[in-house]
Amino acid sequence: MNKAAALVPLVLLTAAWAQDARAIVEESQRRGRASSQRYEGVLEVIGAHAKVSKKSWQSFRLGSFGESKAIIRFTAPADVKGVALLVINHPDRSSDQWMWTPAIGRDRRIALQDRSTRFFATDFSFEDLEERDVNQFDYRLTGEEAIDGAPCWRIEARPRQGKVSQYTLSRVWIRKADYVAALYENLVKDKVARRLHETDIRNVQGIWTAETLEMTDLRRNSRTILRIEKLAYNVPMKNDDFTVQALRREQ
Amino acid sequence: MILLRLISWPYVRKHLLRSVLTTAGIVLGVALLVGMQGANRSVLAAFNQTVDRIAGKAQLQVTAGESGFAEDVLERVQAVPQVRAAAPVIEASVETGLKGQGKLLILAVDMTGDRSLRDYDFENGDEDVIDDPLVFLAQPDSLIVTREFAGRNGLGAGSRVAFDTMEGPRQFTVRGVLKAGGMAAAFGGNLGIMDIYAAQKVFGRGRHFDRIDIGLAEGVSLEQGQAALEKALGPGFNVEPPSGRGRQFESLLGIYTTAMSISSLFALFVGVFIIYNSFAIAVTQRRAEIGILRALGATRGQIRTLFLGESAIAGLIGSAAGVALGLAFTRSLAGFTGQLMEAIFGVPQNTREILVDPRFLLVALVLGVATSMIAAFVPARNAARVEPVQALQKGKYQVLLAGENRTRRRAALLALALSLGCLALSRYRPLFYLGYLLTVTAALLLAPFLSLELARLLRGPLKWLRPIEGSLAADSLIQAPRRTSATVSALMLSLALAIAHGGVSLASVQSIQEWMAGTLNPDLFVSTSETLAARDFRFPAAMEGELEAVPGVADVQPVRTARVHLGGKPVMIVATELGRVYRHIHRTIIAGDAQTMDTLAPEGKGVVIGENLSVLQKLHLGEIIELPTPSGPLRLPIVGIIRDYSNQLGAVFLERSVYVRYFQDDTVDLFRVYVKRGAAGEEVRRQIVERLGGHRRLFVLSNREVRDYVTGVANQWLGLTYIQVLVALMVAILGIVNTLTVSISDRRRELGVLRAVGGLRAQIRGTVWMEAVAIGAIGLALGTATGAVFLYYEVQAIGKDIAGTPLAYQFPFGIVALLVPVILIAALISAVLPAETAVRSSLVEALEYE
Repeated sequence: MNKAAALVPLVLLTAAWAQDARAIVEESQRRGRASSQRYEGVLEVIGAHAKVSKKSWQSFRLGSFGESKAIIRFTAPADVKGVALLVINHPDRSSDQWMWTPAIGRDRRIALQDRSTRFFATDFSFEDLEERDVNQFDYRLTGEEAIDGAPCWRIEARPRQGKVSQYTLSRVWIRKADYVAALYENLVKDKVARRLHETDIRNVQGIWTAETLEMTDLRRNSRTILRIEKLAYNVPMKNDDFTVQALRREQ
Repeated sequence: MILLRLISWPYVRKHLLRSVLTTAGIVLGVALLVGMQGANRSVLAAFNQTVDRIAGKAQLQVTAGESGFAEDVLERVQAVPQVRAAAPVIEASVETGLKGQGKLLILAVDMTGDRSLRDYDFENGDEDVIDDPLVFLAQPDSLIVTREFAGRNGLGAGSRVAFDTMEGPRQFTVRGVLKAGGMAAAFGGNLGIMDIYAAQKVFGRGRHFDRIDIGLAEGVSLEQGQAALEKALGPGFNVEPPSGRGRQFESLLGIYTTAMSISSLFALFVGVFIIYNSFAIAVTQRRAEIGILRALGATRGQIRTLFLGESAIAGLIGSAAGVALGLAFTRSLAGFTGQLMEAIFGVPQNTREILVDPRFLLVALVLGVATSMIAAFVPARNAARVEPVQALQKGKYQVLLAGENRTRRRAALLALALSLGCLALSRYRPLFYLGYLLTVTAALLLAPFLSLELARLLRGPLKWLRPIEGSLAADSLIQAPRRTSATVSALMLSLALAIAHGGVSLASVQSIQEWMAGTLNPDLFVSTSETLAARDFRFPAAMEGELEAVPGVADVQPVRTARVHLGGKPVMIVATELGRVYRHIHRTIIAGDAQTMDTLAPEGKGVVIGENLSVLQKLHLGEIIELPTPSGPLRLPIVGIIRDYSNQLGAVFLERSVYVRYFQDDTVDLFRVYVKRGAAGEEVRRQIVERLGGHRRLFVLSNREVRDYVTGVANQWLGLTYIQVLVALMVAILGIVNTLTVSISDRRRELGVLRAVGGLRAQIRGTVWMEAVAIGAIGLALGTATGAVFLYYEVQAIGKDIAGTPLAYQFPFGIVALLVPVILIAALISAVLPAETAVRSSLVEALEYE
């Protein structure tokens, strides 16, 4: 058998795994799909020197993966109350984001080039808040592994050419039982920069959802825990509530 | 080297005072040059350093003059594929009221994205010092200061710093401290960071940014990025690397630097005569010594080298001392220059570090040594020509030979004739300056002859005053004209400089006052700053109505001033309601007619320009000028040219509505307020402050205060040139001391004989004093005449090439009247020490001299 013939099964195997990886991610997104979502989040940032700061917000999302619109509105502490972020996701390009600061009475557009920066001193970046469109990444199934005792597929996602991302590669562990992502690792130049660990996975209105998200910034040695409360899906929402005007309106 | 040790050193030791006085000319000249250049360089370097440090990684900056531009430009910039990062910026300076801290430069940025261009190196990481970036963004009172500024003022996270905003005085909360170094070193460490959207309110910018800093995508060259942005934005925008701002500031500093450099070099030039004089005298005194050396086989070359070597060493010592003295002066001069630049151009300065280019110090040293050697060249050459036999004939050399005198006079007449020819062809500017140079040459060539003639003329009055002392003093000058001619030349040049500068100052101040009387005639000025030049804060357009509603106000004229680039130079746009303004002011029209100007300019169909702009940029009536604006180029004809002193590089008067439309900026820097007939100005002023001052930052200045301020700035500007005139005078006075010291030692035997035959000490003293006063009087006479000519050239140069504003020729009689006693008293004082030396020397030694 020549060398080329020997490579054929390997190539076929890789192609099959690639197909599976994308299908898994698509299935994961399909299962999480809802016409809308609403929750109250409690955000806890634990800095490198163990300094803890807490914030609360309300999150509203209309639509789902790739074409959703979301508003996050801070409710506490008092000096950030009313600060809001509007994210409009697009299937074919990076999302548009605006921020509203009521004390100044101004909205500001967050530029595409700035999305690698931290989301208001948390360990999430603005890019981390975007929804991932499967068409903007190449997926590869690289193995199986258990996370928190639950068997998972380990999948690598690499941004396609044209996709602007601070990350060169992401790894995601998706639970076989319910297709919920249990762990993400986002890499910058072969080094893990951020790790997102999702726990407290519950079934809410038929959708399996992680209610605790812990993002660790390994470069800064700090972490942010987001606890999701009062989660509800398919709540009636209007398109008009997800505009810059609405952002300004609802102080 | 052996000759220097064996021959020169004992001579220097013996005449230590004279050696010190000789080098003093070089010391002062070099000190002034180093001090001025060092100060200018430090101010410019501090500005560039601030620009460079706050630019961070920005490769290009988008600006539209000082008017700024609307926010939507940011999206247009971000859409350019060659752009990796674009960060909007507002920059302004504020007075914090913290004692001794000066101004705080506020860099207002959008912190959500600015870090892609600037490194914010916070103490102990972000979260410890920016207590909470979300709070920083959410609260408009957020401020980040530098470690240095915080340390100096005992500030920490949570501390409050107060400064005025457009909405009145506000307290700001320190929510971050930048580590020392890097960006934190900008503006001498007096840097504050603020959110850009909060800053728009604080400084009254509306929805405008001052500039956008750009980081280019990987692989995009500066030229490619610049071209892409220029194409995307159009000609109204300026796309330049951050260093371009430094160049703009340099061009503002240009006139000032030129004036200072010329005056410094002039001081050094005056020093040439002192050195020439000293060496000429040294050669005379050492003729016997030279004769012996020549008899022993020393070559002419060796003798020449000996004297040139002496001058080089004197130059080196003088230059080194001058450099040290100059460096000591640099800090205070830099502070003065910085204040002046801020007062005139409104560009805030904070020069904490004194930066001196070692290469320039080397140049100053070389210049000092070269000056000394050039000055000594002729005496050295004369020394080399000394024949041993001639060397024994003492005194002969001091006499100006008739032939020599004739040659000088002929050369002077030729120079004068040529200078007159150049003057006739002065429209070719290089010929004008050549003519000036020829006039100076003619004056210098004629100085010895005229000194001699004036000394002869003075003999009578001096003799009449004191028969013995007067005759002896006059004879001393008549018999040894070579000894005094260089000192007289130095004094003549210094006084000519003082008179010319005085005349220019007089004419400038008078012209400015006439202009102020005609145009700055509102009763009150409501300004965003005390200095009128600073444009960090802006009033909203709506304030016009608020002012009109104040009881006693008759008329309110909003004025917006902003620098834009025209012909590669930053010129000032003065946007106002021209029709309303013209009804109140009296203009001096240089070109065009009032009717056309009053019709077309207020309708926005043309612009009126200042005379200096017309001269400096060769712009004529009817010509179309193109102003870059954020909405594209604004092309308008020049419908009038008026006399104007509002900006050194020229002003364009534009109808406000046109400015608002093209620059998309309706803010106001200044309101000209006229009070109703019968209303008390002070009461209206009080009402304005009471009604508007509580919720706005404003300064209400009376007409007198504004005029005093403008006059003060003009005097400050002119005052600095007087420092240099003073130094030139000091150099010349040193020359008198030097001449008298030489004269005393030269005439030691003669004075000894006088005392031996019964001459009283008082008579000897009186002789020296009268000789000094005579030198002063001759210098005054020649200096006044030469000054009258220099003044003509300076007035022409300022009017046509430097400022572009014609000045009237006004001879400063007052200054001359002041100089007469000053110089005569200075001459008398400078004679005290030599006179005492003369009367106290041993009679026996004096008789044995030679």
